[in-house]
Amino acid sequence: MVPDGLVAVVKRACPTCELVAPVLAQLRDQLTIYSQDDPTFPEGLGARDDTALDVSFALDVDTVPALIRVEDGHAVDRLVGWERSRWEKFTGVDDLGVGLPDWRPGCGSRTHDPEVVDARLVASVTPHLHARTVELGDAEDESEAMYARGWSDGLPLVPPTPERVARMCAGTTRHPSDVVAVVPPDLVECTVEKVAINAVMAGCLPEYLPLVLAALEAACTDEFNVHGLLATTWFSGPLVVVNGPIARAIGMNSGVNALGQGNRANATIGRALQLVIRNVGGGRPGEVDRATFGNPGKYTFCFAEDETGSPWESLAVERGLPAGTNSVTLFAAEGVRGVVDQLSREPESLARTYAACLRTVAHPKNIFVWDAMLVVSPEHGRVFRDVGWTKARLREELDALLLLPAEDIVRGASGIAEGMPEALCEPGTTLPKFRPGGLLIAHAGGGAGLFSAIIGGWASGAVGSEPVTREVRT
Amino acid sequence: MSKTLLDPTSERQAGTARERAKRPGGLAGTHVALLDISKPRGSVFLDRIEELLRARGVEVRRFNKPTFTKPAPVDLRHEITSTCDVVIEALAD
Amino acid sequence: MHDTVNIEATGVPMVFVASTEFVDAADAQARALGADPARVFVPHPIQDRTDDELRALADDAIDAIVIALTDN
Repeated sequence: MVPDGLVAVVKRACPTCELVAPVLAQLRDQLTIYSQDDPTFPEGLGARDDTALDVSFALDVDTVPALIRVEDGHAVDRLVGWERSRWEKFTGVDDLGVGLPDWRPGCGSRTHDPEVVDARLVASVTPHLHARTVELGDAEDESEAMYARGWSDGLPLVPPTPERVARMCAGTTRHPSDVVAVVPPDLVECTVEKVAINAVMAGCLPEYLPLVLAALEAACTDEFNVHGLLATTWFSGPLVVVNGPIARAIGMNSGVNALGQGNRANATIGRALQLVIRNVGGGRPGEVDRATFGNPGKYTFCFAEDETGSPWESLAVERGLPAGTNSVTLFAAEGVRGVVDQLSREPESLARTYAACLRTVAHPKNIFVWDAMLVVSPEHGRVFRDVGWTKARLREELDALLLLPAEDIVRGASGIAEGMPEALCEPGTTLPKFRPGGLLIAHAGGGAGLFSAIIGGWASGAVGSEPVTREVRT
Repeated sequence: MSKTLLDPTSERQAGTARERAKRPGGLAGTHVALLDISKPRGSVFLDRIEELLRARGVEVRRFNKPTFTKPAPVDLRHEITSTCDVVIEALAD
Repeated sequence: MHDTVNIEATGVPMVFVASTEFVDAADAQARALGADPARVFVPHPIQDRTDDELRALADDAIDAIVIALTDN
């Protein structure tokens, strides 16, 4: 308990504190002195040991020397640094520090040392961590130990020590025990803490955690149906597309190689989601995950949309969020397919390229059930920007181009048994390749390359998956 | 120095040690490897185990470690795991 | 026990058989390796026993051995 009256907080490793030692001596009768680093400083004045910094934190000391008036255990007034006139007024004592300069600035309090801040953070979060501890054997290599327990997606993991998990939990204001989502297939209530443990293993920084939390929430909605996505024999896994200023703030990649490797945020946010599904939800290949092939995006698939370079509104805005909102959009993605078009100068021609390629998603004769995402590159985006085509205009064009003649897509047409049932294919009619809302359009990629990307989706509808957008809360 | 980690799983499994490999449910139709650690007398024990298994209609293959003082060489392990479905190692004393 | 841990890591079920002298050592090794391998113990001693006695140990142990290899 800090005594009422005048309190001084100093540290030896502060030239101004050393300078005012004689002043503290002059004031000793009315002063309680706390030392942040060495209770033998100042000499002979009965300084109290605050190396644990409890008093310094309690009194909110930012700068030393601090001269604080305490009433009822609370700081009601203070001075920092040395300034004779103010100290004399504050203490009511004249002729302080004769021979000392009139004023000197103070130094940073030890409470702001990075190691101190970190240790305090860890100490404050740790009591709220309730996950079971796993004691590795003395003879265990910590990397092998995580593989051996089945926690890995095949790539190495960062060991989730309690300190790392505590730091990760500080990436959100949510409480570690908050339930984020019920995760299939085992239908487990997954807390912020459990997400944090897997986020540590994935290699995330704490500032990525809010995106992982939002991605998990989105994935576990009935609409996205991550359970069905996991259990399907189809190729797809969850893709996370990030919108909003947070993408740039955490250094995500929306440009060169945006869908590829090399960026920590892109790589680890997608991975953390998959690790939660694996470890918390219990969803693993060969068990509930029955994919015939899968695709490399099931290790991780996450990118930021390039909003500043885009000719259009963002994916999130198109899907109803206010501009500037941080969000993630989950899409049931298979692999990335390349589309080259280096000769189309007119938007109508480029739209026809897109339509011809989009038609082949899943199968050229299969319609309506399969979703897709078209990722337009900056160079292709320019074709539309130069003539003022909005995203809606492009959609209108694609919708028209993707109305397929029933005779072409019916089973047996073109000598291909696969296709749509006869009952749906009345001759003379046309049918849309994609269901309403089944084609997503985003903008990303490097500045060079007259290419765009098509990312096929999965089945939509009752047993399939619907893309879901979720706001990111920090 | 032993390390403490936090469990990333749902904790529905009882233990935190590495899990055992999935068992086949029965030995019918499997190949059983008998790995002799090569301590004296162990072969008598394993001969009898082999008899008992064959009497149950199970295929048995015999292997010998070069020495009981070290773990089995990698090549021997590979030979065992590529030709057999389950393994019995004996007899440490 | 290293052999068991290594072979089990490839997905092949394994049990090791040891004399009762090894119970504590096996537990300590298991803890150190972060594993819990299947193990069956037969009464010590081994070296002094006759062939018939060793065969009898095998007869007594076979059920436990089979269970260790087949029970999930």
